[in-house]
Amino acid sequence: MHELAATQSILSLALDEAAKAGAASITKVSLRVGEWSTIEPDCVRFCFDVLAKGTPAEGAELAVELVPVRYECEACGLHYTPADGGFSCPGCSGRRGKLVSGRELYVDSIEVRHAHTARSKSSRGK
Amino acid sequence: MRIPLVRRVLEANDLIAAELRAGFEKAGLFAVNVMGSPGAGKTSLIEQTVEHTGSRLRIGVIEGDIATSLDADRIARFGVPVVQINTGGACHLDAAMVRKALDRLEVSGLGVLLIENVGNLVCPAQFDLGEACKVVVCSLPEGDDKVLKYPAIFSLASAVVLNKLDLLEHLKFDLSGFRRHLGELNPDAVLLEVSCVSGEGLERWMEWLERGARNARQSGGR
Repeated sequence: MHELAATQSILSLALDEAAKAGAASITKVSLRVGEWSTIEPDCVRFCFDVLAKGTPAEGAELAVELVPVRYECEACGLHYTPADGGFSCPGCSGRRGKLVSGRELYVDSIEVRHAHTARSKSSRGK
Repeated sequence: MRIPLVRRVLEANDLIAAELRAGFEKAGLFAVNVMGSPGAGKTSLIEQTVEHTGSRLRIGVIEGDIATSLDADRIARFGVPVVQINTGGACHLDAAMVRKALDRLEVSGLGVLLIENVGNLVCPAQFDLGEACKVVVCSLPEGDDKVLKYPAIFSLASAVVLNKLDLLEHLKFDLSGFRRHLGELNPDAVLLEVSCVSGEGLERWMEWLERGARNARQSGGR
């Protein structure tokens, strides 16, 4: 339950980059969130809507790309998502695998509007 | 207009953690992030450790809890340097909290720094504290399915301490299943089966710690 702090970081990264680009508002924030990142996307969405109020990111869409856990089998090289109840390789039953994805937690990109187009932004729902 | 960022959400924490890690490495200090659920026996393990090797390994301790200094008081009885962090509700320690605690802990001259995280098998996994190794402490009464249910934290551990082994005969705990799941999830993790009550297995844990301290010292600045 540290989504509030994580969302605060997401928002400051987005606002920081938008300011550097001289943008007036942020319309979309895209995240990559690994299945094992210990972050709950719905909770981040809720926090984001609350925290973004009154900032140039208010009303921005939060797009979350979930990155599944993938292992690479040391024996046969197969990339696989572990099944419930075990982590061994479904190809060769190998029991030594290396985690190759699933821990990601980063802001991938933002979409912004500059001042002259910002006026067209209407108040949108969540 | 789309602006690509690819910036880590916790980059602020990671920057401080990197700074701490560099400091620990330079000092030849073996820093260990001790994680696990409430009641697993993290503090008991640290008590046993400082009682038996506290002065030889020159151990210092940072205790993290939401509230109270009960744990630091338990450790202070053994005469080792200890600092309590109260997170005031936060479910994990972060690197900034550790950096702040180091203001109150003299690390020069220490060989091992044990950082006991807040009892929790979820959130601490995400926060780098600058440690050399993460250790997960879990215990038999929690059940043999913890590796399957909390894979994120177990996948990061250099060592897993399975505590309360003295209760094995009273519980339906599938020890071979636990070993198999951990071996598949994280084949590089060392599994140390111990009892902080009977003392069984603690020697192997202390050897593991001592080896880490030796490596840190040899590759450190002195």
